[in-house]
Amino acid sequence: MKAVTANRLIDGEVVFWKTGAWVEGFGEAQLFDETQEAEVEAVVAKGKAQPTVIVDPYPIDLAPVDGGLAPVSYRERIRALGPTNEPTHGKQAVGGEVIEALRHAHGAARSTGRVDLIRRK
Amino acid sequence: MPKLIKLDGDTAQWAQDVFTHVADDDALPEGDVILSLARFQAEGEILLSNSRRVGVRIEPDQEVEALAYDLPRLSVVALAFPKYRDGRAYTSARLLRERLGFTGEVRAVGDVLQEQAGFMVRCGFDAFEPNDGATPEAWTKAAHRFRHVYQRAADDRPVAFEERGA
Amino acid sequence: MYLYDAIDREFLTDRSNEFRHQVARRLAGELTEDQFKPLRLMNGLYLQLHAYMLRIAIPYGSLNARQARRLAWIARTYDKGYGHMTTRQNIQFNWIKLKDAPDILDALAEVDLHAIQTSGNCIRNVTADPYAGATAEEIDDPRVWSEVLRQWSTLHPEFSFLPRKFKIAVTGALTDRAAVKVHDIGLILRKGRDGQIGFEVIVGGGQGRTPYVGPTIRSYLPSEHLLSYVEAILRVYNRHGRRDNIYKARIKILVAALGAEEFARQVEEEWGKINAERADLPAAELARIRAAFAQTRFETLPAVSEAFEAARAASPALRRFARNNVKPHKQPGYAIVEVSLKAIGQTPGDASAEQLDVVADLAEHYSLDDLRVTHAQNLVLPHVKLDDLPAVHAVLESVGLATANIDLASDIIACPGLDYCALANARAIPIAQDIARKFADPDRAEKVGELKIKISGCINACGHHHVAHIGILGVDKKGEEFYQLSLGGSGAEDASIGRILGPGLSADKVAPAIDALVEAYLHIRTGEERFLDTYRRVGLEPFKEAVYAQAD
Repeated sequence: MKAVTANRLIDGEVVFWKTGAWVEGFGEAQLFDETQEAEVEAVVAKGKAQPTVIVDPYPIDLAPVDGGLAPVSYRERIRALGPTNEPTHGKQAVGGEVIEALRHAHGAARSTGRVDLIRRK
Repeated sequence: MPKLIKLDGDTAQWAQDVFTHVADDDALPEGDVILSLARFQAEGEILLSNSRRVGVRIEPDQEVEALAYDLPRLSVVALAFPKYRDGRAYTSARLLRERLGFTGEVRAVGDVLQEQAGFMVRCGFDAFEPNDGATPEAWTKAAHRFRHVYQRAADDRPVAFEERGA
Repeated sequence: MYLYDAIDREFLTDRSNEFRHQVARRLAGELTEDQFKPLRLMNGLYLQLHAYMLRIAIPYGSLNARQARRLAWIARTYDKGYGHMTTRQNIQFNWIKLKDAPDILDALAEVDLHAIQTSGNCIRNVTADPYAGATAEEIDDPRVWSEVLRQWSTLHPEFSFLPRKFKIAVTGALTDRAAVKVHDIGLILRKGRDGQIGFEVIVGGGQGRTPYVGPTIRSYLPSEHLLSYVEAILRVYNRHGRRDNIYKARIKILVAALGAEEFARQVEEEWGKINAERADLPAAELARIRAAFAQTRFETLPAVSEAFEAARAASPALRRFARNNVKPHKQPGYAIVEVSLKAIGQTPGDASAEQLDVVADLAEHYSLDDLRVTHAQNLVLPHVKLDDLPAVHAVLESVGLATANIDLASDIIACPGLDYCALANARAIPIAQDIARKFADPDRAEKVGELKIKISGCINACGHHHVAHIGILGVDKKGEEFYQLSLGGSGAEDASIGRILGPGLSADKVAPAIDALVEAYLHIRTGEERFLDTYRRVGLEPFKEAVYAQAD
């Protein structure tokens, strides 16, 4: 699966494409499967063509984890959550199931199978 | 054909460009021309002797010192910015003005943007072929955005320490 | 301290207005991102993972209380209540909105601060010894020369589009706290045979992908010729530095390719053609700048403070603090106090708005309104009376700033890493926190002694891992964070580049590996050897064995 992400121009906030709009929550992102490559490209192209809403749109790969989907790359998980050293900063502050699933995502691209982005104190 | 902006004192104005940029494999047109360094070295003597005005275009990897002996006979030295980020032409301009004593036109060509106007003017450029559609008004404004400067360059603006001493 | 006059202030106003205009054009869609990006970078504004990051220049790491309070106010008003000190003595805010950036620059300009040349291929903010004007070992005050260079390099018309960024560091002391040998230009103040002051000029050091300890190209440059000589260096670099490959564009690559001798010859040749009379700073202006730094008014005090001695005798915590964080001052009765931003488990180099305010108060009341940022991401109160040390320590303790660990294993340098930075491959902060916890017992940390651990989240090496006693480099190995250890680097006067220990380790193996390295060191050290000295005596092998035998 894929989603399309970018940063919002006016404040730099991480955003995801959701059928016609750029939204803040990873959980709201529109999902594209392997048959929808052309649509992904169209969304990216549309994002690149607009002058004032977002900056640098690109697709990200997602993989199933316990409790839902998570970006495959570490970098994208951190973008979807916020910094791991400040667990109350950024998107993760709202909490909820999607955030928990992202925080404790297992597997995906990792060879050792353990992610534990956020250490439980 | 890019439009030419020239400095008249502190003010930038539209100027009639009487020079033709001539590529190395172009046939030579009538009138005043700006040539590459290579073509100037090959054909410059003849052109200068048949009373045309001649300019030379210097690429960033070419040293302006190569023109040292010819400068008194040149009307224009065009310094190329293949990208605005390539800052070598600033050094070339200062050397032309401050070391080689060139008093003709120093023209900025290529990726020439109004955001760089202040730097260019301070280094001794006095003619510009802007690449961003800048008007003379925008150019004048950009060149004088800062009321003070902190270091000597090819212009005669008073430096901060001179203003302080005054 | 140097105080801005009307000219400096009008300059900042003009700069701020220029940027406000550029931001407005971007938000209106008149500038594309490609056109705008270099303009915002010239004002220190990066787009990072979660938001914009604003890097604010702290020239030669020096702040007054009013400036520190303004930084605290910005942290509260426009950020999430904290700032991050960088290895170039600057401060970064991680949660900035583009629309607020012009207002922030205005607020900074009101207290003579700015973000000019904190990014871009220009001469960056000049760094200096954070003990400047306070340490007895100094030949001359490096702030004087840093300020000379700051002004000269600000919006320099010839050198604002160099092949790559350009960093200058200055020290006046033999102990190098400014990492001058790993800068594009490192300047060490020296006393000449004639009793005059000059510089040893080092060019072409650097870290990043290709680390070098810079060679000395001139052992003595009369100080009055600093600007003409630096102009010659920059001109040779601007003309001949590589522009075809971003990884080979720093001056270190040019110096290495030509050889230090040939590079020096070219600089001398160019210098000979420069009209020094025009290029060098007039003596009157130098005197004006020097006078601004000479105004520190110390009291005449006894060398020993009875109040401090009594308090120290009564307090083990103060004793430990004095051992590790208090350094000798040139003036009898005064001390230099290091304020650690490396409390165990905290983000290295971060200070909260509250902490900044408290340190600003301390600077104002107890340190002649002077505060410094170190390249090791700590703060310094440079002029504290010994009599006041107990009070200063107590206040620091009350806000979690009295960790007595300067230059110990838990005083770790770490870049923001993948938690914030768009360039990073791996996180640095959680690794630092993990390692620091291994040295949470202060007795153990002191027993180990000086040990400089530095972590970078990518090869750009903002965390100075190449010049660490133990360096840690985060890499991305098939989507997973991995960490490469190196040993034996130093960014000080005995500068050297570390050597890679062995295969990379996963995140959870790093802190145990550091533990193993330290245990091996404690086992084989002799006498007063630091970790670095032991490594230099015995080499990699015993350490390799300690880490990889355990990892298996």
